[in-house]
Amino acid sequence: MRFILRRLGFYLIAFWASITLNFLLPRFMPGDPVSRMFARSQDRMQPEQIEALRKLLGVDDRPLLEQYTDYLHNIFTGQMGVSISRFPTPVTEVISSQIGWTLLLGGTALVIAAVAGNLLGILAAWRRGGAIDSALPPLLVFIGSFPYFWLAMGALYLFGVVLNWFPIRHAFTDGLEPGFTWEFIGDAGAHLVLPALTIVLVSVGGWMLGMRNTMIATNSEDYITMAEAKGLRPGRIMLRYAARNAMLPSVTSFGMGLGFVVGGALLTEVVFAYPGVGYQLLNAVQGLDYPLMQGLFLTITAAVLLANFLVDILYVRLDPRVRSN
Amino acid sequence: MTQPRFLRAARMTAAGLAVGALLLTGCAANKPGGTDAAANASAFLTIPREDMGTFVQNFNPFAPAVNPMVQQSIYESLLIFNPAKGDTVPWLATDWKAADDGKSITFTLRDGVKWSDGQPLVAEDVAYTFELQKKIKGGYDYLDTVAAEGTNKVTFNFNKPWSPALYDVGQLSILPKHIWSALADPDKDANAKPVGTGPYTEVDSFQAQSFVLKKNPNYWQPEKQKIAGIKMLAFAGNDGANLAAVNGDVDWAPQYIPNIEKTFISKDKDHRHYWFPATGSMINWQLNTTKAPFNDVDVRKALSMAVDREQVTKIGMSGYAKPADCTGLSGSYETWKNDAVKDNCTWTKLDVQKANELLDKAGYPKGADGKRTLKDGKPFEFEISVGATSSDWLSVANVIAQNLAEVGVTVKVESPDWAAVVAGYETGDFDSGIVWSANDPSPYKYFNNSMGTTTVKPVGTKTFDNYHRFGDPQADALLAEFAAEADESKQKDIANKLQEEYNDAAPLVPLFSGPEWGAFNDTRFTGWPTEDNPYATLSVRSPTTVLVLTTLEPRK
Repeated sequence: MRFILRRLGFYLIAFWASITLNFLLPRFMPGDPVSRMFARSQDRMQPEQIEALRKLLGVDDRPLLEQYTDYLHNIFTGQMGVSISRFPTPVTEVISSQIGWTLLLGGTALVIAAVAGNLLGILAAWRRGGAIDSALPPLLVFIGSFPYFWLAMGALYLFGVVLNWFPIRHAFTDGLEPGFTWEFIGDAGAHLVLPALTIVLVSVGGWMLGMRNTMIATNSEDYITMAEAKGLRPGRIMLRYAARNAMLPSVTSFGMGLGFVVGGALLTEVVFAYPGVGYQLLNAVQGLDYPLMQGLFLTITAAVLLANFLVDILYVRLDPRVRSN
Repeated sequence: MTQPRFLRAARMTAAGLAVGALLLTGCAANKPGGTDAAANASAFLTIPREDMGTFVQNFNPFAPAVNPMVQQSIYESLLIFNPAKGDTVPWLATDWKAADDGKSITFTLRDGVKWSDGQPLVAEDVAYTFELQKKIKGGYDYLDTVAAEGTNKVTFNFNKPWSPALYDVGQLSILPKHIWSALADPDKDANAKPVGTGPYTEVDSFQAQSFVLKKNPNYWQPEKQKIAGIKMLAFAGNDGANLAAVNGDVDWAPQYIPNIEKTFISKDKDHRHYWFPATGSMINWQLNTTKAPFNDVDVRKALSMAVDREQVTKIGMSGYAKPADCTGLSGSYETWKNDAVKDNCTWTKLDVQKANELLDKAGYPKGADGKRTLKDGKPFEFEISVGATSSDWLSVANVIAQNLAEVGVTVKVESPDWAAVVAGYETGDFDSGIVWSANDPSPYKYFNNSMGTTTVKPVGTKTFDNYHRFGDPQADALLAEFAAEADESKQKDIANKLQEEYNDAAPLVPLFSGPEWGAFNDTRFTGWPTEDNPYATLSVRSPTTVLVLTTLEPRK
């Protein structure tokens, strides 16, 4: 219990530090959102409207400290303000209308990559020097080292445009009414294949190598030799004895990955025009949309810290050594 | 996704993909592209939006990043100026008349126009719209009062004779007073169910990735609502939108498509077309005239003469843009151009020898190494700042840098983020940059922003136009005369003098008329504007868009 409380204190400090950075960083960037908007709109906006817009959007020259206390107040009361680039839509609405798709895409890809990668890693380590161990890691690392954008565009072109197997954009067919019907779920599933597949392809190699390496270390432990000497079935030794103990780093990575899912797979969403928050984040940064940036960063920070905290708790159960520390 | 495609997809996934389980069944929304007349009649005109990855249900025209079609299809304006032909189309107003003293304009509204909720459009609506616009967005400093007279006449009174007002007020989207006056916070309302006078106003199946606008049931020209509706698709960049265009999934492709002949047209030559009229704004190379040597007109002209505009447009703009001439006016002002200035143009034509002579004469001699020095003995070198994301303008800047090396001037291309670049432009802390200019039906704003003294702010004070900070009192007098003149033929005489002044002063270095991108696929809809029938441009964000929406019809 003391351990958990100590961790909790640590997370609170980390949270405070990150929201403060989150407040300061955009304000140190050159330019302000209104002139940014003006520059992007090119000749479609009148210069004399800029002052009025500044006032409307609340881009002001108040002292930083005052803005900071307001900001903290807003965070703890759950008001994240109104998005500037999507004015006058509240930040919470912008985020909530899209985050579901990001979670679906990122979550699916993460689970598939982690499960497949770890299984492959276990198999590779168990049959060290076998076909899986010698062929797959270099191949997956090779694929994983492609620039993601390029790989995604290539997959989109080949499987979407040339072969016409999968839809090439959006999360479901435009005009289809979302709902829990088989038709809609199937359609959304079909739209999920290419984006999720490309993320899995680039990330699975990392999972596999990580698992393989810890497995190899674990396999040389005495208790494995002991288990073998007792004549247990190899499958049982592999999964219950070796893999279970080699799992710990993967659990950490999974927790981290889970947190980062919220941030969205930015490039994936850009390439596949997937309606998630990743592209929104890019847009917010480009438009110096402080409230939306802060809302998104806050959501990401909270998710990462929460995921880590849960992993910590899980660790206490999985690894007794942590408890005595 | 079509059924066979789905089956193949399912087979493929079942064969090896872990995600195959997700593919339980598919849907059968037909892929656009058929030539079936019945299907075309019920099809939606599909248009991509390339710079919004997702949509939010916000149809407030005061929103800075306004949803597509709000000002094109939902709300309409009193008149529409078409830069492609240079003509003005009466729209919600049938007629307008400026007072003899130039201090007011009276519009007569069209009879029988109704809002989409069935209420009639009245002069009060117009007056209220301007009141609201002024309150929320500001501007319109010249506008004193807007007075409704009866139900169909509305007079705009100015505090000075102000002829540029016609298009300024004439092209603002008119809003219904009975809806907007009932809102507590009109500037912050999402206006999720808009009520407008436009042809397609009814928001349907709204999703973050797409939405549909269906027919306005009370439109004032129902015979022109020939398409069933408009479907907008959200894309997080040009690549996705271009892919949709190439794939034949959209009918209208208003975004930039590189190498369009090969990537887009060649896939279906009979049905795919593009037209890039030079009606965008003039793209200028702005030299910060508060700094030496850019305060010297000979230097500005010499630098301009060293630029190979053919190369600039060919390399930077894939040959789609039109090189500038000495009037400084872009292709949208074709009818305003002073032929004498245009035909005797010197300083916007490539002439390396002349450029060298002019620089020698101005006192910037070439050293033994072939490089010029400034009057204080320092090397003649400076920067062009362009935002890192604008790859086309970056190539333009690079071509300029190469060109200038030939006259012994060293130009460095600086490309940080646009935010940093624009911050420099605004405060006057820059050497030179590539900047767009105002684009308006009359050339007043262009000349006012490029050489009027009223737009010049001292270095350190933020400005949002005239970044190059050049003011010419002689131009001021002409500009004032122009603004006070309501008669267009007399305005043209003054505009001719303004162009002569521009030709003498060279306030900035005009590079090329920006093209207005537009391509279409007429498999399902016909009646598109073309070079031979320029009733509108192919832009989907200009006031002329509604002309296209009310002309297109399903292919039979």
